[in-house]
Amino acid sequence: MVRSLFLFDMTFWLYLSALTLYIAYLFARRPVMALVPAGHSTDSFDERDGAWATQLGQIATLITVFGWIVNSGALFTRAFERMQTSGTFAPWSNQFEAMAYVSWAIILGYVLLELRYKIKAIGAFVVGIGFIAMGAASLLPYRYQTAEPLVPALNSYWIYIHVSITLTSYAAFAMAGGLGVMYLFKERAERRGSTSRFYAAFPDLETIDELGYKAITVGFPLLAFGIILGAMWANYAWGGYWSWDPKETWSLIVWLIYGAYIHARMTRGWEGHRAAIYAIFGFLMVVFCFWGVNFLLSGLHAYA
Amino acid sequence: MNGQPDALPQQETPRTPAPGIGWEEFSRELVEFFASIKLAMFLFLFIAITATIGTVIQQNERPESYIQEYGENTYRWFLRLGFTDVYHTWWFTSLLGLLCVNSLTCFHKRFPGVWRSMKQDRVSVSLDFVKGMKQQAEVSIASSKEVVSQRLAQYFIEKGYKVLAKSDPGEVTIYATKGVLGRVGAHMAHLSATVIIVGGLIGTYYGFQEFGVCLEGQTYHIPRGNFDLKVDKFWIDYHENGSVKSYNSTLTVVDGGQPVVTKTISVNDPLVYKGIWFYQSSYGDAWDQVEVARVNIKDKETDKVLKTIDLEWQKEQSVPDLNLKLSITDFVADFAFNSTEKKVFSKTVEHANPAIRLAVNERSTVQSTPWIFYQFPDLFDIKESKYRFELVGYKPKKFTGLQIAKNPGINIVWTGSTMIVVGITLSSFIFHRRIWIKVIPASEGVTVYAGGTTHKSQIDFQKEFRKLTEKLRTFSASPHEPGA
Repeated sequence: MVRSLFLFDMTFWLYLSALTLYIAYLFARRPVMALVPAGHSTDSFDERDGAWATQLGQIATLITVFGWIVNSGALFTRAFERMQTSGTFAPWSNQFEAMAYVSWAIILGYVLLELRYKIKAIGAFVVGIGFIAMGAASLLPYRYQTAEPLVPALNSYWIYIHVSITLTSYAAFAMAGGLGVMYLFKERAERRGSTSRFYAAFPDLETIDELGYKAITVGFPLLAFGIILGAMWANYAWGGYWSWDPKETWSLIVWLIYGAYIHARMTRGWEGHRAAIYAIFGFLMVVFCFWGVNFLLSGLHAYA
Repeated sequence: MNGQPDALPQQETPRTPAPGIGWEEFSRELVEFFASIKLAMFLFLFIAITATIGTVIQQNERPESYIQEYGENTYRWFLRLGFTDVYHTWWFTSLLGLLCVNSLTCFHKRFPGVWRSMKQDRVSVSLDFVKGMKQQAEVSIASSKEVVSQRLAQYFIEKGYKVLAKSDPGEVTIYATKGVLGRVGAHMAHLSATVIIVGGLIGTYYGFQEFGVCLEGQTYHIPRGNFDLKVDKFWIDYHENGSVKSYNSTLTVVDGGQPVVTKTISVNDPLVYKGIWFYQSSYGDAWDQVEVARVNIKDKETDKVLKTIDLEWQKEQSVPDLNLKLSITDFVADFAFNSTEKKVFSKTVEHANPAIRLAVNERSTVQSTPWIFYQFPDLFDIKESKYRFELVGYKPKKFTGLQIAKNPGINIVWTGSTMIVVGITLSSFIFHRRIWIKVIPASEGVTVYAGGTTHKSQIDFQKEFRKLTEKLRTFSASPHEPGA
């Protein structure tokens, strides 16, 4: 128990450092190419500062990857510890572990995104959300953080697949929410004609918008799959595949909200600004489904 | 879905202006409305909003608890609006029905176009059509139209496109398409909504869900399946730290007088026989039987405990040194007496006032059957006896709570579920791209007109299209060099 908690703790600090570095990367002075007036050569100072920014970005990525490896290690260790106490090993069997898993999935998603698109500025937002997830987990009281044996209803192989898939979809929606916030930041800067260097590293609005949309198109089928796996599990454990329990109803609500988004994208006027606000709203609904339902509403899923 | 070139110019039937609003126009408008994305968005959000009601207000409670929590007036409104059972109200069901109509109409309106684009030769298009595409380019190449069109076709095939080409006297037309499966997927998802809801309705009308309280060793008849179920055993497994690991019941199906299946069920592992599922749902202490009870035998005069014995349920036990024969004949968990029928019964299933009925046989002369109360040891007294009996503890028999359910619609629901997951996955990750190219000889070489469209992922497609035009420009460099 102590071993995994130490690693979870370490993950928290690593993600915090990574986030700080990504923000520092945004603030680091770099040559703003579009703004260099014709005829003026970029002076050597700027070039050196630009190199510094690049280095910051590289360190941020390294720390993020390292943090993710420690996060994986923490989940593995927890799985091993669970194996000894209760026979099942899913390291997402309580609220704390689920949060740690979500942040693991968010960071993995981010690292893949950075590898593919090479846009480090997104880190300040998406790693930020991964960090918040990890931070919220570590704020939980100690008794929620330990690996207690599972209650009989959860003690099933369905927990491996239903919970992990659903949580992965939450992670995708979290990424979309982070990109939505980023979109609004950038948009505001553009509207004000801001020349701040802060925004120079941001990708253009269209790219942020498209990436946010992509994250949702990943989360949407995953959530559908997660809900259906949940229905199959319920059919084995509760005697019916759907019982309008608050948790399952809320996951359906979240799915419907993103369903509306997916359809809205097909019509004009639902990209950009509106889509960004909607993605943030959707993410808040996910947060409620994940946290709010467990703590505010009673029901069959009240295990936490 | 706007700007979709499903209807190609030459296939469009000339519209004859209808005088006034004819039936045809009306039905077209109707289809338009029911197939619209706006209706879909409205339904998604409206169902989402109304679904929250049932998560905030407890569903299917007793009226008193609503009145206590919300007041009588609010409760009356709840009844009027169906808020105490939102998911089964006529209006919520209608919303789901409308969602089916919406997705089916969309399928009806749009799927034929998708089907055609899979099956039909769509290479006969006009130059204006190509020029009118969302993505379009015009490139002049110093090469022959045969070479250009051949290299283009090769380029598309390498990129995984399906290519159709048509050679006319003055021009070559190329049609390249990829990822139509994404749109098939979307329509598969549209159909799935109805499949799932139909499966759900079949389950509601032709299935059942019941709850049974069963005691160990007893056999129960299951009328809906016309067989018997014997409960052999119920027990609980514990973890090392004392928390519950699993609840288990061993059940035997007796069909036609013969035991057919024996299975130990637990919370995540039901027994299925003839389409009827038996779930381990709950358990509890029986209210009318004990396994064993501990009785103190006291000397009335000295008030000293002479002996403590454990009596098994309905089994006579001798106490030779006291010349006693004892047995427990009855048990109630919450003692109550029906004075008209002169019968003792258990008021509730709670063990609030437990009592056993003790059959006492003293020296074969004194015979009595007093009720002995756990909480009131002095209540009953056998006058002729030397002894007083006290119930100091007991171990109740456990009952197992079984949920018994049959759902003939379940496989339809799973079919719909598979369709929705596969459908959304396809439509999320595969997008349909179509590119038309006309290669027309010009004064020097050829002019290539390219036009392309996709129904989503515009940015990715834009990039792809830009690459295509860049590639086109390289054609003119030195067409005979391989790999240029």
